[in-house]
Amino acid sequence: MSDRQFHDAMNPDNILQVRDLAVEFHTETGRTAALQGVSFDVPRGQVTAIIGESGSGKSVTASAIMRLIQPPGRVTAGSVDFAPSGSAPYDVLALTDNDARIEQLRGDHISMVFQEPMTALAPVYSVGNQVAEAILCHREVSKQAAWDEAADMLQRVGIDELQRRMKQYPFEFSGGMRQRVVIAMALVCQPDLLICDEPTTALDVTIQAEILTLIRQLKDELNNSVLFITHDIGVVAQLADHVVVMHHGRVLEAGTVRQVLKQPLHPYTKGLMAAIPGLAPKGQRLATVASVVGATDITTAHPLTRLADGRQISLSPSQLRALGHE
Amino acid sequence: MNEVLLEVNKLRKTFGDSLAVDDVSFKLRSAEILGVVGESGSGKTTLARCIMRAIEVDSGTVRYRSDEGWHELLQMTERELFPLRRQIQMVFQDPFASLNPRMTVQQILEEPLIIHRLGDKASRRQAVAEVLASVHLDSAVLSRFPHAFSGGQRQRISIARALILQPRLLVCDESVSALDVSVQAQIINLLEDLQQSLGLTYLFVAHDLSLVRHICDRVLVMYKGRVVEEGAVDEVFENPQHDYTKLLLSAIPSADPDQRLAPMDRRLLDI
Repeated sequence: MSDRQFHDAMNPDNILQVRDLAVEFHTETGRTAALQGVSFDVPRGQVTAIIGESGSGKSVTASAIMRLIQPPGRVTAGSVDFAPSGSAPYDVLALTDNDARIEQLRGDHISMVFQEPMTALAPVYSVGNQVAEAILCHREVSKQAAWDEAADMLQRVGIDELQRRMKQYPFEFSGGMRQRVVIAMALVCQPDLLICDEPTTALDVTIQAEILTLIRQLKDELNNSVLFITHDIGVVAQLADHVVVMHHGRVLEAGTVRQVLKQPLHPYTKGLMAAIPGLAPKGQRLATVASVVGATDITTAHPLTRLADGRQISLSPSQLRALGHE
Repeated sequence: MNEVLLEVNKLRKTFGDSLAVDDVSFKLRSAEILGVVGESGSGKTTLARCIMRAIEVDSGTVRYRSDEGWHELLQMTERELFPLRRQIQMVFQDPFASLNPRMTVQQILEEPLIIHRLGDKASRRQAVAEVLASVHLDSAVLSRFPHAFSGGQRQRISIARALILQPRLLVCDESVSALDVSVQAQIINLLEDLQQSLGLTYLFVAHDLSLVRHICDRVLVMYKGRVVEEGAVDEVFENPQHDYTKLLLSAIPSADPDQRLAPMDRRLLDI
């Protein structure tokens, strides 16, 4: 038996619950639905990954959670229930624009790490200054105390020779070191939720491995939750506990990493997995999403159905029956 | 084994004080796909540009064998080199930056033929139509501008532009790394098909090791401007000899959650 998902009460195990989120953009050619009926959970203290290709809506989802959708974009439906530690859960989307909780939400309770560390850092301020500023924005402490706390966090993310390095500017850091600084900035206020939007995409594979290890290790030390946005299935497999597969602004499949990556059920997820060169036998043509999906319709919206094993999937009733799920 | 098509010997290129390509030598055989891997700054793109003579080298030789015999590419004048440029073409990383936004697809694809003074108007149109079909694009796209296409379609146009001169060697510099995984798979399949049907030779510069393993016959591993390891892909991936190669391979995140990432620590390696 499967139960269709409706607006349910906030589960105390979750830090964030997104329900039926819809975002549209008004363009010259009319309205474009960027997100339709997006629902997923971010369990507390774990890493949840959103995976999708360009245009799947994964970054728009992050922006909506942070209340950063700007005109011509508009949130048209849905809720984002957030339960920060030490405060009652509330719907982020229901806050009015002048609610003090919005400032608190951004940077203090939820913070973000972006793809390109050079654009996330201001070029004309020293690195120590920028990390300390994040503290001064959210808490009433002296500059010296903020500087000391910044030093502590920079050390945790693996910056050595702090006395010298904190006075240096972003251009004096390598790409991997810059991303460590951005992570320090994001974590220095001890947010409940860290959202990472493709934080390792611009980095070399060896540096990527270091940053992934760091994110995982800091999550365990600081006991926060992570929402990790990526297009790289390898990164998901190595970092995440849960995964949400997005395509064309909708969630097609969600579950634990083992469920989704080891036994993908949705044709689109199967196609994504088959297109990875590392998994295909050498000398054989790579499967493409189109060749795996074939004639199966993956563009029509179907509600997310929860299967007996807890995973959620968006398929028509007949497709579900074909999989052996009623 | 096929004949050697390109022979690079002791190539060296510095930018100011920094040594970008340091004493690089290798041979590329006809119809072979040779991968060049390494991290940013390892010199792989500079190597490709030196071979193309897009930049001048400090020392070393690049020999290329055409039907007429061997040519010392680096010794030739631009005028002598010009006819050979038809035979060595390049496909770049960013399909948004490498196509002129103010030219139609027809103009983009026809331009190499005009530059090389090949054919008349009618035969050029014919050649454009044929090359477009070979990359699986419809002739309806000819009157449109690059902005109208997706990344994958643009990369097909870039490949078509490189192919229209009927080159023998294609230098692909991160040609699929800007693409989504499913589009990337289509372009890789296309490159493999073209390699087989046209007998092309590829120098395939990439940072994605799984991709290199999939498409390449042999691979050069570059680190700090030097080739630290060279061999058949399977040998290099199964049994890496150099510590840097081992580090690179250990850092690839597997798509299988049960194969845990255990990257080696660079600081502990003597590289």
